[in-house]
Order: sequence, then C-alpha cells, then structure tokens
Amino acid sequence: MSNSHLFLKPGFIKVPLQNGVGRYVCQLQRVVLKFCKNHGSSRGMRDFIESDLVNFAMDNPAVVVYLKPRRHRSAVIKAEYLNGDQQWLGCKNFTKEEILKWLNLLVTQSQYHTGTRIRKLWHTDNPSIQGPWTPFTFRDPKLNLASFPNEELAKPQDSNETNHEALIELFKKQKLDDLEQRRAE
Amino acid sequence: MSSLKRVQQWATFARIWHIYNAAWQNPFHSSELIKKYLMGMYKPIYHPMNDCGDHVIVINSKEIALPGDEWKKRVYFHHTGYPGGATWTLAWELHQKDPTMIMKKAVYNSMDGNLQRRYTMQRLHIFPDENVPKEFLGNVTNEIKQLRPMPKRLDCYPEKDVKEFPKVIDYPEDYVIR
Repeated sequence: MSNSHLFLKPGFIKVPLQNGVGRYVCQLQRVVLKFCKNHGSSRGMRDFIESDLVNFAMDNPAVVVYLKPRRHRSAVIKAEYLNGDQQWLGCKNFTKEEILKWLNLLVTQSQYHTGTRIRKLWHTDNPSIQGPWTPFTFRDPKLNLASFPNEELAKPQDSNETNHEALIELFKKQKLDDLEQRRAE
Repeated sequence: MSSLKRVQQWATFARIWHIYNAAWQNPFHSSELIKKYLMGMYKPIYHPMNDCGDHVIVINSKEIALPGDEWKKRVYFHHTGYPGGATWTLAWELHQKDPTMIMKKAVYNSMDGNLQRRYTMQRLHIFPDENVPKEFLGNVTNEIKQLRPMPKRLDCYPEKDVKEFPKVIDYPEDYVIR
C-alpha cells in the first residue's frame, strides 16, 4: 500500500449480482464531456461528439449526457454514479474510438472501481464454517478451575527434574529396597 | 448485524488478562515474551492494524534477576532537557528507587516505537510484590509460563525437610560444623 492509497475510499471486492435479477438499472447516472472547440488535444472528443455521441445517447437512455465546451482546456469525461461516486477521466489526445471504449466502461461498471482501496484481495460472506476463533477456543480445561497466581502453571514447559529431587527419589527407593530385604530375611 | 454475530465479534476481540511471575526471571528476555501477549501476537487473528492486545499483570518485579554483573554495569540515561540535565543511573540504583521501572523499560524498549506503543504499555500492570488489587486478579484467566525454573532457597524449606534430607557423605571426624 503506497501513500497515494491513503485518501482513497476503502472497500471490499463485491459483485453486483443483484442488479439484473428483476430488471437492470444502469448505475451510471450522468456523464459530462468537457472539451475545447479549438485545441488539438480535444480533437478526438470533437470527432466523437460529431459522429458517435447521438448514437451513444440513443443506446443509453438512462444516462444523462452533458456537453461542456471550455476554451483552451484539455478534454475530460466526468461520470456520476447512482451510489454517489464521481469519476474524473482526463482524455487529452484521445481518439474517438478510445473515448467510446472508455464511455462503454463507465456505462457498464457498477461504481467507481479504481477510486476504492481494496482492503483485502478476497471477500466472503461466510468467513469460517467451524466458527471464528475466540480466546477461549483450544484452551486447556484445567485453566477453568485454576486460581491465579498459580505456581504449578507458571513452571517452564521443559523443566527437568532437579538434582535435589533426583536425590530424594533415590533415597526413597533405597529405603523401600531395604524394607523389602528385611522382610525377605 | 444479527445479535449472534455481534456477540461473536465481542468474543473474538475480547481482551483477556494474563499474569506473569517475574521472580528470578531475566527482565530483558521476559519482555520479549510479555510483548507478544500485550500486542496479541499469539492470536490467529493478529494484524498490526487490529486492536487485539491483552492485559498482562507482572508480579514480583522486585525479585527479577539480571544476568552477570548487569546490576553494576547497566546504566539508564535520562536528560531533563536543560543544559547539564543529563543523569546516568545504575540499574541497582534505579531498582532501589522504583522496583517496577527496569521491567517497565525493558518491555517498552522491546516494542517498536510507533503510535500504538504507549497505548499498549497502558495494558501492562507491574507490581513489585504479590499484592495485586482484587479487581485485577478477578480478571485473570491465564498464567504465562516462566522462562526459567525458580530456584528455592534453603531458608524457604520447612525445617523438617532440611533435617530429613539424605546424607550424601560422612564428614571427617575433625570437620567443624558452624
């Protein structure tokens, strides 16, 4: 994640599967084509307006198309979506075919996808089948009845028998052996 | 969010309380261990951006054991900000003034210096002895295992055990027992 991502709207991946079940609602509401009448960088935009714009508007009756001539500024497409997203697309030196392709993208996408920072590369409504982890899963049941602080629980896991304990064990064993010998006699 | 899912969320992100007995333990090795519990790094849900750290109570910080001659050699530096305001305090001096300070500084220094560090430190509760407030102890549900076994001093054994301890050698006749 770079610093330029910090100001993007964070979100999760989603598929607009519900759109089109009953009827399809075009998510693009309004598109403004801004261009200059003289400058060369708006040439493709002017060509598009002259030849293809009327067809585009007829094909997409749900989209409001505005034209906004501005002197000596480069060509721009601004799109507004049903969910409130606003997308700004610079079209300097674009050909009319390129502009048609970009407009097709804007009409078909459900929101301003490139304007969101995807928080995870995956998303699921059922994250876990066995249930999410809690601090109390996989816990040793003997902790339930323990009182704290507890010396037995605090002992290191790999603590070996000390020499002291080993000596006492040996002594006890010796005592028992002596007793058995005496009984045998 | 249904009420079941809400409770599930509470359960997953519940802060639990651990207790750690610092007696006879190296504070600098212990701090690496305590840090993991304080920041929640032992949890499968851990992520640096989610707030899943736990509380840790450290008891007996007065009884910590520094390795080698570190009581004499380790120096804590402080500067008041004024000219000539620098002070150097030896570890044993600092421990006399505040028996929790060495442990606290060890944990603080074991963590990266970011914005979360001070909030993480607020979840660490250090006590010089075993006197912990009851409302703190009531929360505890886990004991952190110590790094080293605690040795027991001779004067801590009952007198009967000392007397009945098996005789390993016979003292020579001219040996003087004081």
